[in-house]
Amino acid sequence: MSAVLEVSNLRKTFGGITAVDDVSFEVREGEILGIIGPNGSGKSTLFNCVLGQLTPNQGEVRVDGRVTTGMRPCDLNRLGVSRTFQLLQVFPQLSVRDNLILAGQEHQGSMFSRLIGHPDAGLGPAAEQMIAFFRLSHLSDEQAGALSYGQQKLLDAAMAFMAGPRLVLLDEPAGGVNLTMLGNLRDRLQAYHAQRNATFVVIEHQMEFVMALCTRVLVLAQGRIIAEGTPQDIRRNPVVIEAYLGH
Amino acid sequence: MASFVQLVVSGLATGAIYALIAVGFTLLWQTSQTINFAQGEFVMLPAFFILASMNLGAPFWLAALIGIALSILVLGLLFKLVIVDPMLKHGVLPLVISTIALSLFLKESAKDFYSSQAQPFPALVPSTDVHVFGAVVSTQSLAVLAVAIATVVALHLLLNKTRLGRCMQATAQNPTLARILGIPVRRMVLYTFLINGALVAIASILISPIYLAKFTNGETLGMAAFLAAIIGGFNQVRGAILGGVILGVLDNLSAAYISSQYRGAFPLLILIAVILLRPQGLLGRIEERTV
Repeated sequence: MSAVLEVSNLRKTFGGITAVDDVSFEVREGEILGIIGPNGSGKSTLFNCVLGQLTPNQGEVRVDGRVTTGMRPCDLNRLGVSRTFQLLQVFPQLSVRDNLILAGQEHQGSMFSRLIGHPDAGLGPAAEQMIAFFRLSHLSDEQAGALSYGQQKLLDAAMAFMAGPRLVLLDEPAGGVNLTMLGNLRDRLQAYHAQRNATFVVIEHQMEFVMALCTRVLVLAQGRIIAEGTPQDIRRNPVVIEAYLGH
Repeated sequence: MASFVQLVVSGLATGAIYALIAVGFTLLWQTSQTINFAQGEFVMLPAFFILASMNLGAPFWLAALIGIALSILVLGLLFKLVIVDPMLKHGVLPLVISTIALSLFLKESAKDFYSSQAQPFPALVPSTDVHVFGAVVSTQSLAVLAVAIATVVALHLLLNKTRLGRCMQATAQNPTLARILGIPVRRMVLYTFLINGALVAIASILISPIYLAKFTNGETLGMAAFLAAIIGGFNQVRGAILGGVILGVLDNLSAAYISSQYRGAFPLLILIAVILLRPQGLLGRIEERTV
């Protein structure tokens, strides 16, 4: 299996603080990789470096073998790297359907084609399908901002999947979601993964969620990878228990 | 009753013009946090573009088109590039002060380069009276209403029924996400400035036959648009429309039935009431901003 994402010797410092310290790992096609670690362990910084939100001081990021270090988030999006957000990001006054159409890269094209082209940009049916997949069909015409927090989390995930990405980075998808909705979200992520053999990287605090969803887990502490393995291995790893679970 | 209908219709006509100005005002705010205190002068100026073109021999329809085009170019594109882009980096307040300076500059320029006298301005239709439900209504009012409604409908279709409009709305609602998704955010913001340029030019064509073209016209119009936007809701296009219409009708009715000396006070009373009871405006959304 080929690597969809390769991160090598990535380092990011802020002033005197090294947030990510010489981190290397790869994500293989069809894998769900979990990245866990205590607060301040560098998970979000790592994510932001991979997604082009931050430029690393050192190291390289490759997507499908192509170096993407220093690319802008929108360029990565075009290459098939999409993301969900820890702090929800939707277009609150547009309908759920319009949110998905926008996420489906319909923005491409000239001003003229945007003006006279079909308003759905040919993405209407795909958007409806994605809405149905996330069981939000009854809300398709609602404004995204009117949805509950959990429903918006589902929408956020649906938007990340809309462009048919190679790789999806999920930033704390379980954060602030109640247990019922969490089960729902996990179920949909797993179903999507099974259907498309999609590749995910998940940053998460909620251990049960990570253990149930991920096929492999990396543990970060103080900017370094301190353990790697299957969820079962990680649970039993004394280093991890010391650094993280033991608290 | 007859005079009531008459007052309402002419109030609707002025209100519709206020609405156009206020809509442009809120569009700029929504996409780029620009509070344009020169918006009134933006409406004053195109009338002079048109008069100048007519002085050069252009027929009215051609002069009107030239006026709209110049307005889009100068009050849309140039305003964005020369004033908004450099100033917005420093925050909202420096930009606000710059637009106040711009309003003075435009006003004085119109006075010095054209005339300090009120200039007659051709009306869209010959002024005759028609009878509607027993009331005498001027064709001018009806023409103003028709053009204003057509403009608002066109804008609504653009914003809600085209891909371009959806991208513009996305830019206004969440520029961060829009940028990540690859929407050309800067260009979308520029488009709203061009649209505002067109809106103020249309408003100018509609209002100048009534008020005459005068360099001071911007003072009242800018204030009316600002009040309309606050009353209706600063962050909603429909709010600006509602605010404009309320203001126009209220102005006419209060002058006729309560006191014409205090007509300027009634919009302010409504403003105070709205700010006290519903600070987000009649149709506005409560915003959480971390600016």
